[in-house]
Amino acid sequence: MNIPRLSSILTVGALALATLVSPVKAEETVKVGVLHSLSGTMAISETSLRDVLLFTFDEINAKGGVLGRKIEPVVVDGASNWPLFAEKAKQLLEQDHVAVTFGCWTSVSRKSVLPVYEKNNGLLFYPVQYEGEEESKNVAYTAEAVNQQATPAVDYLLAQGVKKFYLLGSDYVYPQTTNLVLLEYLLSKGVPIENIGGGFRKDASGKIISAGKYTPFGHTDYQQIVAEIKQFAAGGGAAVVSTLNGDTNVPFFKEYAASGLTAETCPVVSFSISEDEFRGLPADKLVGQLGCWTYFQSIKSPANKKFVADFQAWLAKSTVPGIVKEGRVTCSPMVLSYDGVYLWKACVEKAGSFDVDKVREVWKSGVSFNGPGGKVTTQPNMHLTKNVFIGETKADGQFKILKSFDNVYGEPWLKGKFK
Amino acid sequence: MVRLFLIQTFLWLACGMVAEAQDARHEIAAATLLKGEAAQIKALNGLMGQADDAIFPLLEAWRKDRLFLYEANGKTVPVLLVGAKDKEGMQAAERIDTGKPLVDEKGAAIRLNAEDLNAVAHSANLRRVMKAVLDLTDLASSEPAKRRSALAAIGQAQQLEKLPALEKRLAVEKDADVLAALHEAIALVRLKSPDRAVKVAALKELEQIQSLASTDFIATVEKEAKLAKDENLAVHAHTTLLAINRHRSVVDFGGTLFRSLSLGSILLIVALGLAITFGLMGVINMAHGEMIAIGAYTTYVVQNVFAAGLALSPFGFSVMIPGLHATGWFKESYFLFALPLSFLTAAVAGILLERGVIRFLYRRPLESLLATWGVSLLLQQLLRLTFGANNVQVGSPSYLSGNWVVADILLGWNRIFVIAFAALIVFGVWLLLTKTPVGLLIRAVTQNRAMASCMGVRTERVNTLTFALGSGLAGLAGAFLSQIGNVGPSLGQSYIVDSFMVVVVGGVGNLVGTIISGLGIGSFDQFVQQYSPSVAGALTEVPWVGGFLQNLAQDSAVFGKILVLCAIILFLQWRPSGLFAVRSRNLD
Repeated sequence: MNIPRLSSILTVGALALATLVSPVKAEETVKVGVLHSLSGTMAISETSLRDVLLFTFDEINAKGGVLGRKIEPVVVDGASNWPLFAEKAKQLLEQDHVAVTFGCWTSVSRKSVLPVYEKNNGLLFYPVQYEGEEESKNVAYTAEAVNQQATPAVDYLLAQGVKKFYLLGSDYVYPQTTNLVLLEYLLSKGVPIENIGGGFRKDASGKIISAGKYTPFGHTDYQQIVAEIKQFAAGGGAAVVSTLNGDTNVPFFKEYAASGLTAETCPVVSFSISEDEFRGLPADKLVGQLGCWTYFQSIKSPANKKFVADFQAWLAKSTVPGIVKEGRVTCSPMVLSYDGVYLWKACVEKAGSFDVDKVREVWKSGVSFNGPGGKVTTQPNMHLTKNVFIGETKADGQFKILKSFDNVYGEPWLKGKFK
Repeated sequence: MVRLFLIQTFLWLACGMVAEAQDARHEIAAATLLKGEAAQIKALNGLMGQADDAIFPLLEAWRKDRLFLYEANGKTVPVLLVGAKDKEGMQAAERIDTGKPLVDEKGAAIRLNAEDLNAVAHSANLRRVMKAVLDLTDLASSEPAKRRSALAAIGQAQQLEKLPALEKRLAVEKDADVLAALHEAIALVRLKSPDRAVKVAALKELEQIQSLASTDFIATVEKEAKLAKDENLAVHAHTTLLAINRHRSVVDFGGTLFRSLSLGSILLIVALGLAITFGLMGVINMAHGEMIAIGAYTTYVVQNVFAAGLALSPFGFSVMIPGLHATGWFKESYFLFALPLSFLTAAVAGILLERGVIRFLYRRPLESLLATWGVSLLLQQLLRLTFGANNVQVGSPSYLSGNWVVADILLGWNRIFVIAFAALIVFGVWLLLTKTPVGLLIRAVTQNRAMASCMGVRTERVNTLTFALGSGLAGLAGAFLSQIGNVGPSLGQSYIVDSFMVVVVGGVGNLVGTIISGLGIGSFDQFVQQYSPSVAGALTEVPWVGGFLQNLAQDSAVFGKILVLCAIILFLQWRPSGLFAVRSRNLD
């Protein structure tokens, strides 16, 4: 564990030294940090974000860069190790003096680097759906807030006549917080509490502090939970709201299909399965189940068609070591990373400077970009206004879009808001 | 008699088609062009109860995105694409309103490409209406399963206007299961009846057939009766609910028992190999999990060989494994070929591991622990380099996906298969160890190597053979796990702890102990999962940690794991050498 960390510090140190020695090069470029896990459990998801970021930088550089300066990416590996994320962030800010960082996937990694960015007044662009209840001036949340994914999905289900909701998730901060917000939201919409399945946990005063059923990471036995859902759904009009993460979805959906539950009898809406995750899932078992994101690869717009084609062309030519070229898809976190880079570029150009404070001021004033998923606009609370889509999974791992909500304002503070 | 009736129905339908075909076609065509979900739903509701052969294929096509909107000269024509695609992906187009080919001004047939057209949209609400329309058509379907699911949907919808159609089926329906579903559906719909006597009769009927699906609806009846101050009806509904809930607890118990058996069998299968390598031979084999993973990946490769082949790029070399392009039952039978092959591959890997590493370390258990752990990391990385870091997909053959419902208890075929196979391989291993000359040698060597050697047994060879057997069993376990969970490079890691747990609790060196402990741990886990939320309330009485325990018990999956580990720790305090301690000079 220690040796690779030491060696990578040495390498980056050497790189930093090399850039110091050649000041001419530093004049022409602007350094931009990429902080994702390229090894460990999260590498499967996060490597795709690194790929799309490098693609975006190349695309921008080909058109002359930002403020006339080419983007020079500094890619570091968080290695799915949360304390290491903080170390790497410190290195990006204090040694490489990056103008901006694009990175993090899990909430715990974001929480880990947050103090570093606040201390150094850096700027982090965070692209993955998260639980909210946070608003730092040093983070640009291009991610979906809970009201840009979970509540629209529930709205959709309610409109479809769903009366009973079973909350199921992996046991960590994002599902726990999301389900708590969803509980308040459902109650505010008149769904009686006995129609919300999965169980509740209360504190000493009897206040509900957690709702839903949770399973640990890497859980493999979903027999009992599926049997419970089967009974829950026996009377019809039920749906499962799933925040199950990663590969626990495989045993869950295999068990779900084997029990005879289908998308018609009891649909599952999953917040953690995008096109990219599908590469490791049994697609035939998920046909007809729902997803909710701010982007789907199946969006039929010229901007999206061009984005997908350009990304595939870039992949084919790419010389990044170890990059996967076959079977690649685009998904919401990737597009939000892409949008993030262009929004940062727009802010920098409007501010006429790379200075974080000036860039932030422009961000807060509202800047728009027409991305592959449609128009996104920056907000004063550091989040994004964007479109939200509900999709149904198809056998080829793509989504068929069923409904879209336009220009949804990103709202991070939702706990206690729905009464 | 039935046949005669069917012929009559068919003739009647055929006559109806001549008269009505135009109308239903036109109605559907008009509905596709309507703006707004509500208007479309209204239009489709008009089809309810119509007996028209055109309805079924058209609504099916709509649901499955095969109805398209063709736009030309400012007019939109809904069409159905039929026939085979040609080289450019073009297909013949058929007008929905007339059922005739789509033609241009000159009367020439127009061919269209599905990629260029927009499919007619549909929402889940609309699909529900389509399903309701189709359900009534489905009631006459020749497949009992289809009739049953149609009845379930009709029952849940509780539309009184469908009652006459249902009652008519009572006289015709012969299949016992479907008849039961029919009674349930009729009773459910009758709960909506304005007539109080009909409601009470329906409650009685539901109580008699112990309908688990009806509880929500009965609860609604109870609530409404209370609101209407009809105490008598509320009491009726309440007693019905209690009776059904009693039935539910029996079903829950039976289901838990079955799930216990299934989880226990999985634990047994993954631990059986280890019971041989660790239990009998005394090798602490940390690479046991990777032997499981090798078995699972073998299944994956076999699956792909039966399909279109597989392109791998280990260490940058490109390897192409050609596929057989099998179809139908032959393709489905891949799993039966994968079973022996996964055994063999893992056994070969076991032989290599034993010859290459373990044989040098037989008297040094700690070193063998470290060495096999190293091997395990190596194998994981090897799998990652060969098959990629992502999980790979292993499909379930159709004979392993599906379920039986016996007395409301759900029995998944894959689970039944696992249980049966666990029994089979345990029996096989027992036969091998106790009834064959090889088994005799294995037992001799594992009990007292030096003595066996003195008697002329080639202990080295027996060691290799035993290790290969243990690894092969791990490979078999991998083939099974591919049917219920993930197949990825770290597959083995998720099962290694469980395997050791089962073997240690059972008593190292004792196969019977492994069987009992596997089934015991599985049952304990499942029963805790099933019943912990219901005892959560009582846990608040525990001093100091009551609140914490109560909340923990809600997370039944986690709570089950915690309790299993605690129970095992306590158990090992009581019996440090497991359920069945083997006393031999060798193990002292």
